[in-house]
Amino acid sequence: MNAPVLDASDIQGLLRTGYGTLPHARFTVYSITTAAGGRQFLAWLADRTTPASARKAATATQVALTLDGMRALAVPEAVLSDFSLEFTTGMSAVSRSRFLGDIGDQDPSTWRWGGPAQPAAHLLVMAYGVDPATLNTLCSQIDQVATANAVDVATRLDTATLSDHEPFGFRDGISQPNVTGLSPSATPAGTPLTTGEFVLGYPNAYGKLAPRPILSAELDPGHILPLDAQGSGGADLGLNGSYLVLRTLRQDVDGFWAYVKSIAPDREIDFAARLVGRWPSGAPLVLTPDLDQGQLGTSNDFGYHDLDPAGLRCPIGAHIRRANPRDSLDPNPGSSESVATTNRHRLLRRGRKYGADAASSERGLHFVALNADLSRQFEFVQHSWLNSPKFDGLYDEGDPIAGARTAESANFTAQDLPIRSRYHDLPSFVSVRGGAYFFLPGLRAVRYFAGEQSS
Amino acid sequence: MTALAAQLQELSAVDGLSFPQPTDVHFARLVILPEATDLSGQPIPAHLVYMADVDGSEYNHLRQLAQHKADVLDSTFGRCQDYPQQRDDANRYRWLTTHRLPNDAAYVNTVGRGASQICDEARLRDEIEQFLDNHHNDLAKLAAADIHQAIWEHVLGCPDLAFAQRPAPPPPLSWRIREAVHMVVVPVVLILLIPVGIVTLPLWAILLRAHERRDVPETQRPDPSQVLALREQEDEAAHNPFAAIGVVKAGWLRRLTTIAVLRAISYAARHVFNHGSLAGVTTIHFARWIFMDDFRRVVFASNYDGSLESYMDDFIDKVAWGLNAAFSNGQGYPETRWLVLDGAHDEQAFKNYLRRHQLLVQVWHSAYPGLTAINIENNAAIRLGLSSQLDERAAAKWLALL
Repeated sequence: MNAPVLDASDIQGLLRTGYGTLPHARFTVYSITTAAGGRQFLAWLADRTTPASARKAATATQVALTLDGMRALAVPEAVLSDFSLEFTTGMSAVSRSRFLGDIGDQDPSTWRWGGPAQPAAHLLVMAYGVDPATLNTLCSQIDQVATANAVDVATRLDTATLSDHEPFGFRDGISQPNVTGLSPSATPAGTPLTTGEFVLGYPNAYGKLAPRPILSAELDPGHILPLDAQGSGGADLGLNGSYLVLRTLRQDVDGFWAYVKSIAPDREIDFAARLVGRWPSGAPLVLTPDLDQGQLGTSNDFGYHDLDPAGLRCPIGAHIRRANPRDSLDPNPGSSESVATTNRHRLLRRGRKYGADAASSERGLHFVALNADLSRQFEFVQHSWLNSPKFDGLYDEGDPIAGARTAESANFTAQDLPIRSRYHDLPSFVSVRGGAYFFLPGLRAVRYFAGEQSS
Repeated sequence: MTALAAQLQELSAVDGLSFPQPTDVHFARLVILPEATDLSGQPIPAHLVYMADVDGSEYNHLRQLAQHKADVLDSTFGRCQDYPQQRDDANRYRWLTTHRLPNDAAYVNTVGRGASQICDEARLRDEIEQFLDNHHNDLAKLAAADIHQAIWEHVLGCPDLAFAQRPAPPPPLSWRIREAVHMVVVPVVLILLIPVGIVTLPLWAILLRAHERRDVPETQRPDPSQVLALREQEDEAAHNPFAAIGVVKAGWLRRLTTIAVLRAISYAARHVFNHGSLAGVTTIHFARWIFMDDFRRVVFASNYDGSLESYMDDFIDKVAWGLNAAFSNGQGYPETRWLVLDGAHDEQAFKNYLRRHQLLVQVWHSAYPGLTAINIENNAAIRLGLSSQLDERAAAKWLALL
């Protein structure tokens, strides 16, 4: 296949890095009021969007659009229908809500942003800074330009100073896929995944280029976009882009620990670790089931099948075993085929926690995930791994941490000898406060969206 | 047609295809096959199809249907041409039997496990799990064999679980003998045909390959509104109904190939893939292939666990060769080589093809909507182990099923 060489100068940096050297971040979702204003703002942002090829700097800026945002920029409908159906349907649409488990008290009508009752989510700007002052300067500059172009703030998502522990107190962000061309070569272990699983326009796990918007040449008269490498003669709007999932997940920290205490008053940490699948240090239960060993805190090179096929060390339904089952599922658990099958459903996670204040009731995670196929990757993980009461042979339990609770999925089983312990009616510890599907375009595509020729 | 669709929607809302317990019906559905044209442009009228996965004789089921679902039949098939004017049980039954289409190939997850057995074993498991919950701390102090014994005694005290005191009865001996004979006779006949095969198979392969080079795969994406309508009816239960229709590619070669492939599937499903797995896919309860309209079209229908995305991924990752063999004779299927290669390995092309040919299932009923095939298999293992004498090791293994 005639696939292009990975072009780091056209890929937004977020695909390569979570900007760990920039501990301060703010995500702002904007509503565009006029197409002309929106384009002006985007054109200004295009010059400041950080590519993956950029050297380390004191700030970074990333830009993504929703389908409604593209409409607000007056992008022709013929272009929009080429995006994936999940993206064009939108995260808050009824069909997606039902599939993702955003129902009942998690319904988009209850959301703080991105729901039907809130200002339209059009444009996402992710701003990163080396210190609070630098970030503030960057953000006020961006906001000024937005205001001057009649672009309104729909929601401002502040984040807490970057740390490696999530609000419940467990080390987070350990398991990231190793991606050809994107991951730093030293880390992490395991067979690398193909670039095309995360960046459009490159071969994916099936050796194919994922579907992406290819425009007929007359829609790009200025030749801003690269030509379709597959030779259709069209302009490749998707190349170097990715789908970005943003979900604001509130974590009920007090509720979580109160529940854990009510179940296991004299071994809180131990029980909490069963729910998570790792100890607070990050050490995986499958490697150290009885004791938190800090030196295993960032351990990510392990499977489940050989050490723990029955879930006696790490419960089958524990959060990390669901979020990445590794080698535990069909076909042939324990085999490289099993790992390869799991690896067709991976996500690059780029979230940041929010709510620095331990006393604050609003704490949680602005979950950010990047993938090339929303259906096979993000939605599959959410539906068939986290939320499914039937995951890996189970009957009636969802993810104890991140799963959507229903009457059919509120149990949790800790497999044990001689008999399992089963817990009923787990409260919900995580609730969705907002979310949307965005498209994170390549830099040339950002310029295309910002240009007059798209009208 | 719109009146029929409205009628089906009404039926769906009231679970109109449910049967009283204990039942021998696993799944039942009504599907409209919309009006279509065949490859020569000839119109094919719309059809209404009833499909059920039942234990025992299908004629028994049709008789029951004529008796107990008369209103359903009259309000739906009553809109079909030549439905009897004189609407009584006998006429309905006769009409059903004369319009019956046999399966050309069928897969059953576990041959011989009836619907009522599945429901009973689920109740058994619920009761045992509750018993473990209620007496967890006391039981956890015991040895595995003693826990097994305690559970056994508890079940003995449950009159509505009396069935669990014995393992599930095996299928009748006569049936098993018939199956064994069939299993042997078919290969014997094939062996006798080897000389013919040596001559014809290479010829067939070359011709097929020539066809494959000429065939034009579909490149269109499915209509978004159609996908949304399909998604609307998916993921309500632990499993979903799937139905699709395709036109067989032109020419005798494709027609014969389809017939041969379905024969092979039929044999394999009967004798090889008859306990828990269809060539590695463990999430299918029932599946069937039916020729329609004088071999011009094939309907495929199944009941599968989880979401359609996971069903398709399972297929692509585990049995792409089988999918290619079964479906590449359908017009528009992704390009294959030598019948089994490529095809479904083009993930997106295959998913698009599937969605484009998928049919809405207007009415669907499941006898056990909360169970996956894996759950059912696990429940059966619980029941089997319960009434067995287990030593400490075997008892520990059995307790891991709970």
